[in-house]
Amino acid sequence: MTESFPRWKAYGVSLLTLLVPGLSHWFIGRRARAGAFFALVSGTFLAGVLLHGGLFPFSSMNWLFRLGSVAEMGMGAPYVLGRALGWGRLDLLDTADMMFGYGNTFLVTAGLMNMLLIMDAFDIAVGRKE
Amino acid sequence: MIQDHFLTLFLFSVLVALFFATLNHRDRRGFWISAGKTLGWMVLGSLALAYLMFWTGR
Repeated sequence: MTESFPRWKAYGVSLLTLLVPGLSHWFIGRRARAGAFFALVSGTFLAGVLLHGGLFPFSSMNWLFRLGSVAEMGMGAPYVLGRALGWGRLDLLDTADMMFGYGNTFLVTAGLMNMLLIMDAFDIAVGRKE
Repeated sequence: MIQDHFLTLFLFSVLVALFFATLNHRDRRGFWISAGKTLGWMVLGSLALAYLMFWTGR
């Protein structure tokens, strides 16, 4: 079992996942899982971008898009980078695209998965989970 | 078009099933059982819902 971290350090370590998905698990010593999490969460995010999903800004007028942006922000750095590079920019034509809904689902799910990774890494770091 | 829908649904289900199996498994056997169960339920549940919408929408 991993030696548990002090609580303040556990918070810091678990938030590393916001930089790169799975980085917290890597830091804790779960190298194989970290690699799998990186591939799965990044793959889901990338599929969402390729399917023309929207990276919603929190300032969206539509409350559903605003809710989606909270979930997508769970990705952390990739969300910020994607927004900066203009990926997933909302276009009226995109909303008529058959794959727009699927793309959104992938992106929102990737953000939520990453949030779960943060909590999982925290639980492992404080010794609550093996 | 239907094929695109199905392939996207399948890809999504595979990614989610593998994610939760990786998150919760303790051994290799448990991993595959967990992934298989989640994948099965997601694919069958989505197809059931899609057919329900198709039949009730006619």
